[in-house]
Amino acid sequence: MSTTSMQAAIAPAALTSWYEASARTRVRLLLDPESFMEFVGPEKREVSPHLKVFDLPEQFDDGILVGHGSLGGSSVLIAAQEGSFMGGAFGEVHGAKLTGLLRAARDIGSMPVLILFDTGGVRLQEANAGELAIAEIMRAVIEARSAGAKVIGLIGGRAGCYGGGGLIAGCCSALAVSEQGRIAVSGPEVIETNRGVEEFDSRDRALVWRTMGGKHRRLLGAADAFVDDTIQAFRDAALVLLEQVGGFELSTLTNEQVRLEARLRDFGSCADAVDIWTAEGVADAGAVPALPVNQFIAVADHVRRISHDTR
Amino acid sequence: MATWQLEREARDARVQAGSAVAKGKIVEARDATRLLEAIVRPGDRVCLEGDNQKQADLLSAALLSVDVAKVNNLHMVQSGVVLPEHLDVFERGVAKKLDFAYSGPQSARIATMLFGGKIELGAVHTYLELFARYFIDLTPNVALVAAVSADRDGNLYTGPNTEDTPTVVEATAFKDGVVVAQVNQIVDKVPRVDIPADRVHFIVEADKRFFVEPLFTRDPAAITEGQILTAMLAIKGIYGPYGVQRLNHGIGFSTAAIELLLPTYGEKLGLKGKVATHFALNPHPALIPAIESGWVKQIHSFGSEVGMENYIRARSDIYFTGADGSLRSNRAYCQTAGLYACDMFIGSTLQIDLQGNSSTVTTSRIAGFGGAPNMGADARGRRHPSEPWLKAGQEADPDGHVLLRRGRKLVVQIGETFGDKNVPLFVEKLDALELAEKLNLDLAPVMIYGDDVTHIVTEEGIANLLLCRSSDEREQAIRGIAGYTDVGRGRDLGQVQRLRERGVIRRPEDLGINPLDADRSILAARSIKDIVHWSGGLYEPPSKFRNW
Repeated sequence: MSTTSMQAAIAPAALTSWYEASARTRVRLLLDPESFMEFVGPEKREVSPHLKVFDLPEQFDDGILVGHGSLGGSSVLIAAQEGSFMGGAFGEVHGAKLTGLLRAARDIGSMPVLILFDTGGVRLQEANAGELAIAEIMRAVIEARSAGAKVIGLIGGRAGCYGGGGLIAGCCSALAVSEQGRIAVSGPEVIETNRGVEEFDSRDRALVWRTMGGKHRRLLGAADAFVDDTIQAFRDAALVLLEQVGGFELSTLTNEQVRLEARLRDFGSCADAVDIWTAEGVADAGAVPALPVNQFIAVADHVRRISHDTR
Repeated sequence: MATWQLEREARDARVQAGSAVAKGKIVEARDATRLLEAIVRPGDRVCLEGDNQKQADLLSAALLSVDVAKVNNLHMVQSGVVLPEHLDVFERGVAKKLDFAYSGPQSARIATMLFGGKIELGAVHTYLELFARYFIDLTPNVALVAAVSADRDGNLYTGPNTEDTPTVVEATAFKDGVVVAQVNQIVDKVPRVDIPADRVHFIVEADKRFFVEPLFTRDPAAITEGQILTAMLAIKGIYGPYGVQRLNHGIGFSTAAIELLLPTYGEKLGLKGKVATHFALNPHPALIPAIESGWVKQIHSFGSEVGMENYIRARSDIYFTGADGSLRSNRAYCQTAGLYACDMFIGSTLQIDLQGNSSTVTTSRIAGFGGAPNMGADARGRRHPSEPWLKAGQEADPDGHVLLRRGRKLVVQIGETFGDKNVPLFVEKLDALELAEKLNLDLAPVMIYGDDVTHIVTEEGIANLLLCRSSDEREQAIRGIAGYTDVGRGRDLGQVQRLRERGVIRRPEDLGINPLDADRSILAARSIKDIVHWSGGLYEPPSKFRNW
């Protein structure tokens, strides 16, 4: 059944949930109307060369669309992962499309890149190709940034941003995240499997969200902006971040190192996210998960101003 | 001279023996096993309270630890085999024979133990059927039940999860049995009396609250477009035309989708107030938007649902509540209500065969029946008329005498042609048959018999089996909506076309439904958090259903 529908087609960005939307709907409503031009689109049928070995269905865009468009009148490159196809996982073609887009950004030098993450990490059926893709993409992100391109990650999809996706997000110039967005490397089930349920109970969803979810990532400083779950909110945040984000110098990396060392020093002994928020000075830390978006943004802006000279 | 009070004397002796470890009626948690060793005799029929929701978990553990020399070969007669301890007692030899209704999480292990001969199986029942047998030939000698609190006299407050307790206690206490209750706390005065003190012999104060499973919470985030399409078909093709006001819903995602479409899609069809007003139903969180939109007038419940307590308390016009304000559920009454006072059951299943027989049993799992067969069966003893019941009866027997013709309960099976993990819903032969052959059962565990099923709904359309006039037509009507499953591909195209012309099969387009409109954006709530918002913050979902 088609994933785009009549309702979604006419619903404006302010009414459409980012979490619910497909990658194509997100791109269409995020960019200026009718401005998206896709590279290596589904009509090229660049499908995974590996999935048929496992008798698994392929998708003509291999779960990612990449292309060019305009945002607020300025040109941007854009990539969007489709979380409903194999959990948005990185395979060979999927990864190559993103690598190519970032190398184009490096060669152009001035055009920013938006990455709409929605991924569980590397696709296990093509793990070697996927792992290589992650390494290539991380290198490509840094090369693009070194050449002067800003790379902004937008995270709020069903699959979250896990595994290699979490590593790539860590290389970006800035991230915007919604409450539903989760950012981490090892997923909850992986941690539980390897370290035991006492270490992390993956079925305790409140624990998962307060450890990996958007609110915690914002309060910890890992995400630069916290937004409501609408495509309009992500669009507004992307425009602001493109404005605010600084350049990429050696000092950016040394500042980032200082920030991370301070984080470890200040919160390294905290057993739970709530302890971290308390240590940061959030008045009623236990109430954070239930706070509506606007109230949370006020709290977050109060306790943690984001410095844009890091990352 | 003949003695006619042997059982009463035996009961008094048991209570006397138990009193040695009690202070009045109160027994310390650490003495629970000693109590059971004192009051339970080898070969007793024991009801260990547990169903699909609440569990007398402390008493289960206590029973498991008894000295097998003193307590053995018990005959367990209980609704639910749910906790590992419920089967461990058979491994240890504490118990030997089992009569039950529902297994759920232990369904795979119970199958293994039956195959291994560890358990002597009496029968798998429906809840109501097992309750009935408590009063005829399976009356418990000892009942081990769970309640929220007790006073020192032994009056019990069960809280919202009253469920099976009154029935179990009634059968045990009034037939010379011994009743032991585990309670979360002992108080001076209970908030309300659910079980009077003179039916309770011992009380054990548990160190932690009894376990309750949130079994009826369906996260709207997991509802698929296929399920939404089947829900639209059901609302427009069945709820509307029959005017179904009194009904029961299963616990699957398709019926959760129906609940979430009533205030949006149902409203658009102008059905508000005309359908889905009175329910025999647990307090499903997914029904909150429909309740808040004024669709639902009244709900009677089998049990409660974790997190719904405050919402129910604040909506006493809708739910049955006690003098203390909290829900009063009662499984036996609600099952009776579902059987006799509802015009429709709609629910999902795992397998449907060519005649419409359905089962949730697979060769490696015996999940039991719970309540579905009573909800999903025509009540032959029903005598009161209602519009949907008469209309269904007329469709089944158009030539019968109007004043002598039975009505029919609408029994609707709803699901996608390929279910979880792409397993086909339709099969030539039920796994239940294979299981019955392997275990030498007298009866295959069929959830709902084909002759009770009136409609089957899939994404390909609705098959109205009431309109079928032969078993061949029935088979083709079922094949005609079975999609690309082997059963569906085996259809006779010409016959299916003729059935469609007669309205036996109705496709989405025949009902004016565009499958592209089956989009998640038309759900009244798309996440658990949306439901919390609808409830004005009264619904408090358990942690496992949160994504914040």
